[in-house]
Amino acid sequence: MKIGKLVGTIGAAACVVMAMPALAQDIKLGVVAGMSGPGTSYGIGIRQGAEMAVKEINAAGGIKGRKIALVVADDASNPAQSVTAMQRLVNEPVDLVVGGWGSSQVLANMDVAERAGLPYIVVGATNPKITTDKNKWTFRVIFTDSVQAEQIADAAVKRLGMKRIAVIHDANDYGVGNRDIFLASLKKIGIEPVAMVSYQSADKDFTAQLSRIREANPDGLAIFGTIPAAPAIMNQARDLGIKARFIGTGGLANENLMTLSPKASEGTVLTTYFHEDVDAQARAWADRYVKEFSGSAQPPRPVLAAWEYRAIKFIAAPCLESSGTDKEKLRQCISRWKGKLFSVPGEAYFDKTGQLIQQSVLVEVGNGAFQAFKGK
Amino acid sequence: MFDQLFIGGLATGCIYAVVGLGFTLVYRTLRMVNFAQGHVFMAGAFLGLVIAERVRLPALPLLLVVGAVAFALGMVLERLVFRRLYHNHEVFIVGSIGLGIVLMNGVRVFFPEPVPFPKVFGSTVVQIGTARFQEAYLWVVVSTLVLVVLLHAMFTYTRTGRALRAVAADAEIAGTVGVNVNRAIAFTFGLSFAVAAIAGVLIGPLYFVSFDMGDMVGLKAFSAAVFGGINSIPGTILGGLVIGVLENFAGGYISSAYKDLVAFVILLVMLIWRPTGLLGRETPVKV
Amino acid sequence: MTAFRISQRGWIVVAALAALVALPGYAPQYLVHVANFILIYTLPVIGLGFLTGFTGRVSLAQGALFGVGAYTTALLTTKLGWAPLATLVPSVLMTVVLAVALGGAAVRLAGLYFVMATIGIQQIVWLVLMNWIELTNGPQGVRSIPAIGLGGYELETPQRFFFLALAAAGISYFLAKRVIGSRLGLYLRALSDDQLAASSVAVEVGRAKVTALALSAAWAGAGGFLYAHYVRYIHPDMFGLEASVLYLVMSMFGGYRSIAGMIVATAILESATEYLRPFGEFRMIAYGMILLLGMMYFPKGILTLVRRRASAPATEKS
Repeated sequence: MKIGKLVGTIGAAACVVMAMPALAQDIKLGVVAGMSGPGTSYGIGIRQGAEMAVKEINAAGGIKGRKIALVVADDASNPAQSVTAMQRLVNEPVDLVVGGWGSSQVLANMDVAERAGLPYIVVGATNPKITTDKNKWTFRVIFTDSVQAEQIADAAVKRLGMKRIAVIHDANDYGVGNRDIFLASLKKIGIEPVAMVSYQSADKDFTAQLSRIREANPDGLAIFGTIPAAPAIMNQARDLGIKARFIGTGGLANENLMTLSPKASEGTVLTTYFHEDVDAQARAWADRYVKEFSGSAQPPRPVLAAWEYRAIKFIAAPCLESSGTDKEKLRQCISRWKGKLFSVPGEAYFDKTGQLIQQSVLVEVGNGAFQAFKGK
Repeated sequence: MFDQLFIGGLATGCIYAVVGLGFTLVYRTLRMVNFAQGHVFMAGAFLGLVIAERVRLPALPLLLVVGAVAFALGMVLERLVFRRLYHNHEVFIVGSIGLGIVLMNGVRVFFPEPVPFPKVFGSTVVQIGTARFQEAYLWVVVSTLVLVVLLHAMFTYTRTGRALRAVAADAEIAGTVGVNVNRAIAFTFGLSFAVAAIAGVLIGPLYFVSFDMGDMVGLKAFSAAVFGGINSIPGTILGGLVIGVLENFAGGYISSAYKDLVAFVILLVMLIWRPTGLLGRETPVKV
Repeated sequence: MTAFRISQRGWIVVAALAALVALPGYAPQYLVHVANFILIYTLPVIGLGFLTGFTGRVSLAQGALFGVGAYTTALLTTKLGWAPLATLVPSVLMTVVLAVALGGAAVRLAGLYFVMATIGIQQIVWLVLMNWIELTNGPQGVRSIPAIGLGGYELETPQRFFFLALAAAGISYFLAKRVIGSRLGLYLRALSDDQLAASSVAVEVGRAKVTALALSAAWAGAGGFLYAHYVRYIHPDMFGLEASVLYLVMSMFGGYRSIAGMIVATAILESATEYLRPFGEFRMIAYGMILLLGMMYFPKGILTLVRRRASAPATEKS
């Protein structure tokens, strides 16, 4: 009888699931990112980009008459939940996924997409291990740590003239990946870091780490991490009397950096994914975007929204048009894609590991905003 | 580096001590552990944030207002919620954890991201020796001192304080000599909420406030209380300070990775060696 | 009449069993997925039942121990290339050894102090999983854990895995009933009813408690083993305090002594948390409310365990 109760419970639950109304024949576009937890500001930017792109596409008639329906899965910036979130998208089922933020999350959830044969365009994770010769269904538009960390290492030494560089990094995939490549690049130029410490993403107090760094007397501090740790590190570093200039890669490319550390973040130099001054279209898009989202509860975040928007509007949508929702055809279409995207100098294309090849952009924090980096 | 780590540790230690006080107060009276305590600390910080942004109160009034609101909330929740959880430890623990989850996610609905806290304690940087820190740190240490002195005075010299001690010692007998036991228990909860909320406001300007800031702090404050003696107020204060300083040293001199371990290793070792804590008095039952 | 009733009852059980076994055939994938989790979780919950229901000790370390089982098998299979089934025994063993090493000394503590100690154990294990990066990969987790293979047949899909999970849950159920009915079970129950009386009957109280701890750890480790090969990616956050609380709640809601009750409670709670997922924070608020209200109004799940405080001797503060 007790087993019967168990069966009854499962049966009841099954009825609930099957009774849910069937959705119309929309094209389902899955978006997975953290809308809560530490990565919220990034996830929200991604969602905003997706909403804007889908709205425009649907307003123009959709894809051959079919509208796109967004299915957003929040993974709370947590790798474990990200796997479940992706599984839910697979079960939905969605036709493809454009999104993914956080190297640890994407490295975890791409397994699910690969096993399910679901095209997945990654917009927010930079660890090189994501696009290798092993992934068939996963593509990535954002450039990797290899490019970014190398570029910032180069810039730090050659353009900023740093000689004593200290490194503080998150212990997750993003932080470790960046650190490794940064150190390797420095070594090629013939420099060793003067200090290296790590932290956990959820840490709030960095006195211990920063005290060690202060002892090393650096002139540059590379921060490989994300919000909210990075601005906290900047604030506390300045409090402790560390005068080194901050450098970093895309994890810092978030408008919240300036909100949370208005004074300390000034002068930070970082590589970023998008800047509106690169070309006129970028500026036009950024203006439209800011206007659309400035009234909402969450402030607009162009840097993060830009890739999601471009991936959907210029890569996913055209492929959906030409290849329909057949997953294999979609995959092939994406892998063959090449073209021009705003704010990306030159032409971009996917290499055979599914990585979009492009040049990166260097910016500096000035007057509370990201400004193109002009030299010193 | 020693100075810096020591002072930083002292400040966080004060926070653990004050939040830990909440655990101790409830335990002394009821022999129960309220696991919503850490989240009350967080809620206090947000309450302070909301008030400070609307009303621009200076530091001291802000602390008092938040403390008063939290006190009232504690009394109300005792009557509505906690009173029904006294059956046994497990029920109380799980119930209070549930309350904590509701509190945390309730705040999360309104504040999904970390938010900066207005610098109500000023923003000049002070230098002592090689240690540099925000003046807010001084506020933390001084406020903790004042709080402890006030509490001591209350317990020793006021009728309410003596009533609370009576209930803590033996509720049945206290009832027979005319102490309103229910009121005393409610008062205890109010007090534990108030101190946690005040700690939240004190720490607010030092870091960003986020809905998840109460989790770890609650667990470490709990460890501090057990370490110092969960039925001893001076013990809890001592426990908090020691853990705060020790974990900073561990993070600075050994490895930042294992900083958090300090509090919990101390907890476990203490329980196995001397469950009543450093300064605790009650004899445990080892059957 | 009795004969008729028994066979009618037998019919229902057979039908229920058949429906259960056939589940993957007719249920949508997502449902099978949820069912798998329910079945996997019954293991640590039953384990907790041993500890809590029969010795009166509440543990908030079960999540961490579940994680030890999961990590042991994950590391053995991904780093050393062992076959999954070969790691079952090491995983369980590792969990038991760790639990007894860390908690053995604490088992003699009075109730509330023991809970505190298990919190310490939970946090320590979680922190080590998170920070010992050379061993566990820390916050990056362990990826690409292989599926369990029987011969050449890989348990890759939720449907295939379901049968293993069902078998595991079933075996646990029957094993647990056997242990409870045995002499050990008798000792354990005597312990929870009245410790002083039990010790006066010269029951080896201390050893029995450690055995109970070992048993509960073994079940947790076995559950972790299954979990690792089902989700195929593990991360320390899956084995934190929240997990421990969840298992504890499942065992409390079900009533400590009723294994079937625990299974039902697990099913209900897990289904509830899964189906509330689309609601984001509200899901967690609902979960917190379930815990809170459940404890406020339905502690009856554990009324069998409530020691009458009034009649307890003055010095025994449990």
